[in-house]
Amino acid sequence: MDLFEPLQFGFMQKALIGGLAVAAVCAVIGIFIVQRGLAFLGDGLAHAAFGGIAIGLYLGASVENAVWIAIPFTAAIAIGIGYVLRRTQLRGDVATGVFFSFSFALGVLFLGLRSAQDRPIQLENLLFGNMLLVTDEVLKVVVIVAIVGLVLTISLWSRLAYAIFDPELAAISGVPVAILEYLLLATTAVVVVVSVKTVGVVLVSSFVVIPAATARLVGTTLAGTTAVAVLISTLGAFVGLIASFHWRTPSAATIILIHCASFALALGWSRIRR
Amino acid sequence: MSGDGHGQDEPAPAAAAPAKALAEVAARSKNESLGPSPVSIQRRKSAQQLAQTRPDPARPHVLDVENVSVVIRGRRIVDNVSFWIPKGEFVCLCGPNGAGKSTLLKAIMGLLPIEAGGRILIGGQDVAVGHAKIGYVPQRKGFDRDFPARAVDLIVAALRGKWPVRIREDERAKAKAVLDKIGGTSLLDKPLAGLSGGETQRVFLARALVTNPTIVVLDEPTAGVDARGRRELLELMRDISRSDELAAILVTHNLAAVAETAERIVYLEGGQLLCWGLPDELLGQTALTALAFQATDHHAHAPDEE
Repeated sequence: MDLFEPLQFGFMQKALIGGLAVAAVCAVIGIFIVQRGLAFLGDGLAHAAFGGIAIGLYLGASVENAVWIAIPFTAAIAIGIGYVLRRTQLRGDVATGVFFSFSFALGVLFLGLRSAQDRPIQLENLLFGNMLLVTDEVLKVVVIVAIVGLVLTISLWSRLAYAIFDPELAAISGVPVAILEYLLLATTAVVVVVSVKTVGVVLVSSFVVIPAATARLVGTTLAGTTAVAVLISTLGAFVGLIASFHWRTPSAATIILIHCASFALALGWSRIRR
Repeated sequence: MSGDGHGQDEPAPAAAAPAKALAEVAARSKNESLGPSPVSIQRRKSAQQLAQTRPDPARPHVLDVENVSVVIRGRRIVDNVSFWIPKGEFVCLCGPNGAGKSTLLKAIMGLLPIEAGGRILIGGQDVAVGHAKIGYVPQRKGFDRDFPARAVDLIVAALRGKWPVRIREDERAKAKAVLDKIGGTSLLDKPLAGLSGGETQRVFLARALVTNPTIVVLDEPTAGVDARGRRELLELMRDISRSDELAAILVTHNLAAVAETAERIVYLEGGQLLCWGLPDELLGQTALTALAFQATDHHAHAPDEE
């Protein structure tokens, strides 16, 4: 059996490129999101995108083009979550829950307002992509967004890290804490919306949370933790995709389970190290 | 440069008289409801009767707070406060909860705007520029304890103004030197999450000192630290202040800490400066204790106040 036989197929090559791009950018963003106590943000924003897509459909956009309305809509939702976090004592999961419910209700409302003659819409088709069915156009958008997201996050990494560690100390050192936090949330929103159409909502959430959480168990510095998260995320995507082909299992689920296995190993290692 | 209208060389009344007057006022005030004014006029007058020796004006100024007011969401948290700190003096900024201590501190560090007509100078420069000369030791609760960081990362972050990816040898040497100075060499590569309260504050003190500040601000640094750790930290800071002629402001409402370390006291209440003098003048007569007790009972916490 040729281990890398799957890579001879075009659809697997596109799935691998898309998966690695999303895995890398989500891991870097995930370090800050998890450290900020917003582990459910990825999931919340992925569902919040539904509100934006429904508004797009109501305004007459096609299912494919409605994502261009969902992107700014979801970014606005992310900034709203950031505003609540900064201005109130509410925790991140509460703020995310409120905005997630609002967006989802808005989506259902706008879908209901569509004319009876319009083509019926399946909710799962709006949100849940399949990485084995990625088209060339979607792949281009995903790769561009991933590269821009990576460049932005890595270039701001040192200041973002300081702001997350202690916003007050960072502000005293001249770090624009509020701007950076809003920028991180908006970038996360754009990455999540675009990635969801490619790899699906569940995989995006796991890309954001599991590698960051795993790296956090073994890392002693933030720089090291970030590097480990990217390694775990991309390696898990690669191994999971190849394995899913040979085992004839759903690719997203296989990748997530491999990430979870990494987490279990890291957990065991951290317990032994103690 | 006089603070809040107090004269520089007021004659000192007999020690017992103001204390007795203040105690009487304190007893009366406990039985009467306070009006909308944040500071009772009677208690203010009593406080003004205390001897309050100002710093020698010939000494070089490190910090000038001149007619400073801070308004947050329409509420005047700091109201026309003036005082100054000379080089090398260890000052305790104290007062009850809601007195405006932390708000004034944030204004001194350039984190909050002050009303027109007032100004803050650090080493003679406006706070917008001069705040870089401040070393800050925050309350322990301020940082993310779950953050994967070592002491050396935090100290180098203060040098760079951003979090380090890799630490250069010269930066590591500076971090080690400052930890050596405060007896914390062994903490250099330790994860912050594993440090005790006293060790954590030692690292934060090293972080404040590594930029060679002209003034160090300590905001309730001993909250959550045991009595021994508190004494060690404050004695350490006082020794550094003396040996390096480094001015320091300790913000606290812990009068024991004030008594142990202060060279001079700046006492705020209801956002206003009530007393500014030597510890013997203000503490020995239990006057501040009585004032602080009443104020804590009657005044609600101000926004953004500890």
